[in-house]
Amino acid sequence: MGTINSALSLITGALDADQNALNVVSNNVANASNTAYTREVPNWTENQPISINGMAYGTGVTVTGGVSQRDRVLEQRLQQQTQASASSTALLTALTTLQSSFTPASGTSTSGDIGTDITNFFNSHTQLESDPTSNPLRQQILSSANTLAGDISSRAASLAAQQSSLDQSANTVIAQVNAISASLAQVNVAIQSQSPNQDAGPLEDQRQADLTQLAQLIGVNQIATEQNGLSVTTTGGQLLVSEGQLFQITTGAVNGVTHFFVGGTDVTSALASGGGQIGGLLTARDQSIPATLASLDQLAYGIATQVNTVNNAGTDLVGDNGNAGNIFNAPTQVAGSAQSMQVVLTDPNKIAAAGLGLGAGDGGNAVSAASLAAQAVINGQTPSNFYSNLVSTLGATVSETTIQGTALSASLSQLQSQRDSLSAVSLNEEAASLQEFQRSYQAASQVFTILNSVYASALNLGVETAVA
Amino acid sequence: MRVDPFFVVNLSAPLDQTQTTQQQLTDELSSGLRVTSIGQDPVAAAENVQLLNQIQRDDSFTQTTSLTQGLLQVTDSALGSVVTQLNQAVGLATEANNGTLNASDLKSISNQIAGIRDEVLSLANTSYQGQFVFGGSQTGSTPFTLDNTTTPATVTYNGDADVNTLMSPNGQSIQLNVPGNQIFTSSTADVLGTLNNLIADYATGTAGGGVADTASLTSALNFVSQQRVGIDNSINRLNTASGVAKSESIQLTAVQTSLMQADIPAVSTQLALAQSQQSALISVISALGSGSLFDKL
Repeated sequence: MGTINSALSLITGALDADQNALNVVSNNVANASNTAYTREVPNWTENQPISINGMAYGTGVTVTGGVSQRDRVLEQRLQQQTQASASSTALLTALTTLQSSFTPASGTSTSGDIGTDITNFFNSHTQLESDPTSNPLRQQILSSANTLAGDISSRAASLAAQQSSLDQSANTVIAQVNAISASLAQVNVAIQSQSPNQDAGPLEDQRQADLTQLAQLIGVNQIATEQNGLSVTTTGGQLLVSEGQLFQITTGAVNGVTHFFVGGTDVTSALASGGGQIGGLLTARDQSIPATLASLDQLAYGIATQVNTVNNAGTDLVGDNGNAGNIFNAPTQVAGSAQSMQVVLTDPNKIAAAGLGLGAGDGGNAVSAASLAAQAVINGQTPSNFYSNLVSTLGATVSETTIQGTALSASLSQLQSQRDSLSAVSLNEEAASLQEFQRSYQAASQVFTILNSVYASALNLGVETAVA
Repeated sequence: MRVDPFFVVNLSAPLDQTQTTQQQLTDELSSGLRVTSIGQDPVAAAENVQLLNQIQRDDSFTQTTSLTQGLLQVTDSALGSVVTQLNQAVGLATEANNGTLNASDLKSISNQIAGIRDEVLSLANTSYQGQFVFGGSQTGSTPFTLDNTTTPATVTYNGDADVNTLMSPNGQSIQLNVPGNQIFTSSTADVLGTLNNLIADYATGTAGGGVADTASLTSALNFVSQQRVGIDNSINRLNTASGVAKSESIQLTAVQTSLMQADIPAVSTQLALAQSQQSALISVISALGSGSLFDKL
């Protein structure tokens, strides 16, 4: 009797176990489309056998829940690659916008092209050499100067505008980072209190999801601590989350540009090289755009100062001898000269085409102005060559980033595939498990039925009944 | 060995990629340009800037030369007329010097030479498009003025000795004018001065110093012819430079075009490949994505 009872309770336990296993499978199937979910495998544990009079009796099985099939190392590698890829993508987006200011001109469509503007400006001086008193030719010099100054200053303005929009995007990203760090700290506390010695299942899923989101936004390193805890630092080493403790990233303006601080340390340049979306945004904002803007400034400064010097070294049509005035507004320093470049001369008669002291028919000073195009007046290069270098440098950066981005996303999808083949729910496998547990349940319930009738027979011992 | 369950879903990304590729290739076909952004081919973009610079410079120079040709032609023809006039004057002076003419004939010759002098003076004051050609850089005021009160009459040069040049794209310096004092009142051969002397010589009715002055006139004539050669050289050099600029522009345009233009046959082939890749991918996705074991339970 005792053994029948224990058999009954044993098989009841089996029914419970099968039911729990079915629950795990159902949970898997329910989460089949959830990319942040890690599939669980039911954890079958054999119960402790009982020993009576030297004989061991088994006590059945228990399913204590699901075991998440995850590889922490693989997930970490995936997050590292996500950071690199996100950084590259963000940088490429910014660079694509940047390069659209410098679209190559073709023979037929040259409007807005700075290279063409430079050539046209100096060519208009060459034309003046042949007929120095011609009013239409002088007007042409002024109008080509206006086109050149207009195009350079508007390009510089759009670069500055792009910088400030990147600044705003960076702020938004950091706000998101702070929110995720807060949620990560909370999850850490929950995990450490609930399952300090084993995988935390759904809580761990949530933590990994937070980490993946974080990796999209900012470059981080993970450090596992005791009792299933986690610390997160930026790639540059600044602590963001330490188990349950949170360190926010704060912002502050430095020279009109937003800088980011953890505690009191300025981490902006560390963030720029660290990865994640913020890395790409800050690299574009603090390196790519300023470099191009600096080149434009040098071009504008060089052309403006040189042309002004030449105009003040000749004689114009209204008798000014060596003080005809500036054609472009004179920049005081290189920085900012592109955005402020403009034509201040309005009277075409004040273009000093003649050499000093000579009559109106001389075009010697126009020759000097035109020859600036072939002199190394901009940082050791002719204006046209300097612009050509600007274009090739920027283009090379874009090309390099594109290639890098393609390689990174290819390896990222490989890693993702690897992770998914381990941790994602395979419907075929779940269907097979479902059948297995269904059969197991059916078998257990069949055993129960038989045990029940055996019990009945035992109860009816000594009473004559027909065999049922 | 387990398989990535999201494999078929992830195929949508390569499918997007084939669509992007098709779009890019179609853009290339419709615009005809291979390089639409500097990141696509940085080296070509940089070269493009420099090629366009040279082409535009050559084209601008060609335009300028057609304006300048007119000026040089006018100068040349003025000098040619001066030579004709001086030949006439030499003929008249020689006739006057042979001693067979009487006083009134000599006076008549003096008047004829005065007419020639006036003609040469007006040629010396030639203007082109409102600018005096022989004034050096002082093109706004009349280069030569005549003072008839003195005997012989005096001619004053109001211009200067400045020579104006035009720079060709390959650095040649082409002279555009000859200053008037270099041709008409130079110390080597003073055309107008000699004419005035001859007029004064024959005005009295005698030959006077006519023989010596006739010799001076002959050398002045030769001198003017030499100066004319300088202008003719400029015309030739201008023509040559213009021709060089034109042919360089054509060559460079061909280079620039082949650098930046799309290779239509190659692009069409790539487009066909991309299209077939896309349709293959679509049929793979629909074949693989159908069904799991659950359908059979």
